[in-house]
Amino acid sequence: MPALRTPAESIRLMAHETRHHYGAVPRALGSITVEPGFRILAEGQFLLRCASGYGYHYVPGAGITIERPVGGDPDEEFLWLNGSVYAAVACLNGLYPVHASAVAHDGQVHAFTGAPGAGKSTIVTGLGQRGWPMFCDDTLLLDLSDPARVMALPGHKRLKLTDHALALTGTSAQQPVGAETGKSYVEPPAGDVREPLPLARLVFLEEGPQPAWENIGGGERFARLADDHYTQALYSDAQRPDLQGLFALRARIAQQVAMARLVRPRSSAGFAASLDLAEANFAGTNKERRAQ
Amino acid sequence: MTNLVKATELFSETTIDQEIVVMSLDSGDFFSLEGTALAAWELIDGSHDLAALVAALAAQFDAPPQAIGADVEAFVLQLRAAGLLRDG
Repeated sequence: MPALRTPAESIRLMAHETRHHYGAVPRALGSITVEPGFRILAEGQFLLRCASGYGYHYVPGAGITIERPVGGDPDEEFLWLNGSVYAAVACLNGLYPVHASAVAHDGQVHAFTGAPGAGKSTIVTGLGQRGWPMFCDDTLLLDLSDPARVMALPGHKRLKLTDHALALTGTSAQQPVGAETGKSYVEPPAGDVREPLPLARLVFLEEGPQPAWENIGGGERFARLADDHYTQALYSDAQRPDLQGLFALRARIAQQVAMARLVRPRSSAGFAASLDLAEANFAGTNKERRAQ
Repeated sequence: MTNLVKATELFSETTIDQEIVVMSLDSGDFFSLEGTALAAWELIDGSHDLAALVAALAAQFDAPPQAIGADVEAFVLQLRAAGLLRDG
């Protein structure tokens, strides 16, 4: 279970644990050999060997060792480091990663989750153009050490958008993300937030012909959390919670974080309408909170 | 008839809004209970057999026992199949 610490301590911990240097990484952890294209969380450590030849080895307290192959692509290196490796380091340190991008407003975090291509970064960019600063892109870290609330830790400072999302939001690309991702980096239109904030709401993005917003209540909130296989697998491998522990974790998040589903069309007009819906509902959440 | 008893060591439960989520610690399967199912679950406290459970629910929801008996029995069978009840 997570150690007792303040969110500020968690940020410092992550900064300390994600420092990296270059060198050779092992081919096995304990007795388990890790072939290229596979990863393992074992012995309290994380080892990732990419098919491209990149390798990452995290040891708590010692940071991350990166093995860079001859002719390695620095963009690919950065993506692994800030994706799977970042999430694994978080899990091994008791933080809970959610596959989500998020904005901040009025002292709270509003996060969007969904399958790859669901539009997480796109909607965060669109809300940024309406003045909502970015909180994180793609991986949202939750600090559960305070039993009274779910705190979110701020993450990456750049957004990654596809050409379609660039056109939809009318945003200018800064530079390509790697050679083959089909995405470009974008500066968050309203800047970013650097302090931990409570997570107010998790919104599940779906694509559909008509924009729609629907609050999710009761047991469906619990069920929705069980669907995030990517982060669940990492967290389970790192913390090895039993079924009771996993149930308690999901139950707590389901009780403390509001949830909704947002249907967003891919058309320009539909996208704007879905932003209207998100903005109106988030503002409502903040109004309710102030009234309490 | 034997009284209905929850196998409390075999599941975890929690309340979310007005629903109760119950998860079997054996299979990991979970169930969301609301409305009459929730009321029935709360009445299974070791002091009711099936007939008493039907009578209590009939009184609570102002319904004839014969109208709800089959549904309540089916629900109890589901709970048993999921390993959430043991013999009292």
